[in-house]
Amino acid sequence: MGNADIRSLAAISEVEFDDLAGSVVAVDAHNWLYRYLTTTVKFTRDDAYTTADGEEVANLIGVVQGLPKFFEHDITPVFVFDGGVTDLKSEEVDERREQREQYEAELETAKAEGEDSARIATLQSRTQRLTDTIHETTRGLLARLDVPVVEAPAEGEAQAAHMARTGVADYVGSEDYDALLLGAPHTLRQLTSKGSPELMDFEATLAEHDLTWEGLVDAGILMGTDFNDGLDGVGPKTAVKLIGEHGDLWGTLDARDEYIEGADLIRELFLDPDVTDGVDVDLDIDPDMDAAKAYVTEEWAVAPDEVERGFERIEESLVQTGLDRWT
Amino acid sequence: MFKAIVSADTLGDALDSVSVLVDECKIRLEDDGLSIRAVDPANVGMVDLSLSAAAFESYETDGGVIGVNLSRLEEFVGMADSDQLVELELDEETRKLHIQIEGLEGTLALIDPDSIRQEPDLPDLDLSAEVAIEGADIDRAVTAADMVSDHIALGVDADAELFYVDAEGDTDDVHLELTTEDLIALTPGDARSLFSLDYLKDMDKAIPSDAEVTMEVGEEFPVKMHFDIAEGNGNVTYMLAPRIQSD
Repeated sequence: MGNADIRSLAAISEVEFDDLAGSVVAVDAHNWLYRYLTTTVKFTRDDAYTTADGEEVANLIGVVQGLPKFFEHDITPVFVFDGGVTDLKSEEVDERREQREQYEAELETAKAEGEDSARIATLQSRTQRLTDTIHETTRGLLARLDVPVVEAPAEGEAQAAHMARTGVADYVGSEDYDALLLGAPHTLRQLTSKGSPELMDFEATLAEHDLTWEGLVDAGILMGTDFNDGLDGVGPKTAVKLIGEHGDLWGTLDARDEYIEGADLIRELFLDPDVTDGVDVDLDIDPDMDAAKAYVTEEWAVAPDEVERGFERIEESLVQTGLDRWT
Repeated sequence: MFKAIVSADTLGDALDSVSVLVDECKIRLEDDGLSIRAVDPANVGMVDLSLSAAAFESYETDGGVIGVNLSRLEEFVGMADSDQLVELELDEETRKLHIQIEGLEGTLALIDPDSIRQEPDLPDLDLSAEVAIEGADIDRAVTAADMVSDHIALGVDADAELFYVDAEGDTDDVHLELTTEDLIALTPGDARSLFSLDYLKDMDKAIPSDAEVTMEVGEEFPVKMHFDIAEGNGNVTYMLAPRIQSD
């Protein structure tokens, strides 16, 4: 989930959904699904989304409930999925990220809801791993709804940031503060929450702390990332100060006579991640509602009343055109 | 500076035609009258209103833009009987609107116009058919469609020279035809577009039943409805974006 301490460095403001109309958001699919699996769907009856074979497909309810928010505000989501791991090193890194995301999302939910300990225990036992079935069915449903999907060569969030940097998307959609380290110009947080989303501004963040992108990443590594533990006693303020004093990560580590395992690889994961320009996204969404409904309620046997309202909202928001189409 | 006296009727009707779409709007104060243009948050329905100085008992301004909360202002105006006069005066210093109705005095806080959704650009529409129709007939069509469905098709059959309304529900449907005899005027051209009844019902509420409404329709295009208010001293244009027709 990225180091939440980055928040205190980030230039964040609230935006209205209305002001986002007409924009394209590259959504970190992994991150978005976790939010829905842990915060929304847990209120639903267990048997509503477990197939006869015991396969959990709660993600389908999450997708049906989560998409209307985009469409009703005339926002086009592009879901960016994590790709396969390339070598041993990044495999370790990937596992670690997954573990931490899972842990943090659950913890946050339990805290936010003030759940009793028994309920928390149940939640924990039902570990919300993104199973192969969840991956497969999420893509299957999005395909039937004609929602654009991008397969990242490696990390979805890095690919989403790259798409925003190259103008394919206007925003990255992610809860993860790492989007900032990945250089995403504008990141929307809290897209799955009830209120207005937060806008995290990359250039404003750099300007505020007089940092370059490299400097920000170096400060992030000193504070600790998903891929390394930070230096003892180094929080956001100190990290920025250290980079200011010693120029960069290496200068700081030298001066303090400290060492961070794989620091250059970690730096590269943020500054030059494995991403692709070869994405072909069709932003004109023309869903096959009947096929989508059949997929969810027949093929995957989700109780129809769990998804009825969500499907209605999707249908309604997509068949109504906006006047801006004629201006 | 803005100072005006207007009948509660005239002001109320004008505000109603905007408040069916938005909660807040900018009012442009111009030498020859005031104007409002607003679009609903979903960008589906637009209203363009002008009320000329002649619609007022007295009207003075040196220009400017004010932002108002429509339901608050309507509540104030609602305190007057329809034939009573409403006096409005802008206090430049406090940015409040003084309202006076037969001994009742009040002030209404205005809204910073910059905080209100931007006024929309007018769509550039080339609509193939034009129908002049009584407000009461629109009301009848909307009410009939509402019995069976949540959307309504408006169309013109150029060969048969008639205007028609279709509504198809899950189980029931209605079809209404108005020929040149039933209409005030018809400029034929093939047209058919589908609209959300939620929006059209709201607009219909603000159309006086005795109004002569000029309706322009096209093939899968927004509909434009134009009518006079304040005995010809003002006019309202509604535009409504279509739904995508599934078949």
